[in-house]
Amino acid sequence: MQSPLYADLVLLLEIAIGLVLLVGAWLARKRKFREHAWCQSVAVLLNLVIVAVVMVPSFREQVSPKIPAKLGKSYVALAAAHGALGGIVELTALYILVAAGTKLLPERLRIQRYKLWMRTVLAAWWLVLLLGAATYVRWYVPLSFRH
Amino acid sequence: MKNTRWILGVVLTVLTALAVAVSTRPGLAANNADQSESATVKIDNFSFGTASLTVAAGTTVTWTNNDDVPHTVVSDDKLFKSKALDTDDKFSYTFTKPGTYNYFCSVHPKMTAKIVVQ
Repeated sequence: MQSPLYADLVLLLEIAIGLVLLVGAWLARKRKFREHAWCQSVAVLLNLVIVAVVMVPSFREQVSPKIPAKLGKSYVALAAAHGALGGIVELTALYILVAAGTKLLPERLRIQRYKLWMRTVLAAWWLVLLLGAATYVRWYVPLSFRH
Repeated sequence: MKNTRWILGVVLTVLTALAVAVSTRPGLAANNADQSESATVKIDNFSFGTASLTVAAGTTVTWTNNDDVPHTVVSDDKLFKSKALDTDDKFSYTFTKPGTYNYFCSVHPKMTAKIVVQ
């Protein structure tokens, strides 16, 4: 493995966060809504910190200078897709947290169909996680079949 | 006899002056510079092709990324630092002072090597 330590730590943390979100979904099914809210809030906010501290600086330095010229290369395309979809999913998750957990938003901006929104975001979250894992493999794991 | 020595003296003086003039021409100096040494390091399969390369002072080392992921060439003391090199991109640096220059890839920090300048 040729990955830097921070990349290994981020991958492990992201897998853990994905699992915490699944536990949170299970808590909702058990009608433990208070625990569900805590679980999902911690996961989404912890992810926000990781994105801001590690992923955005890394993306700006190594990926964004190659867009759009090198988008045809798989290592750029994977990272760009992960970044774009991940950004949308994180923002949507934050919106759900604010809409469901606070009364900050006016009535017309609140969500009506919570289950649909939350399940969609959870599925998209795991898609982003898989894209992130694929990006990790593409950037850091030497594969003999590439040659 | 006296005339012969005088002519020989003039010829030798002219030849010496010509030799000095030719050897100090800017064009010739440039040609000498062109003959400075160069060396290459290939980057392939997540490693620098030559883990330890010994070169003479004044040598220009050129790294070529033959890998299908980006790599960088960064010296430990930040004396030189390339941008992220895509496939077939090159980066060159001329080593003027003797010493040992350890360097690494900032994207894959476990990729390390060194240049020894004599």
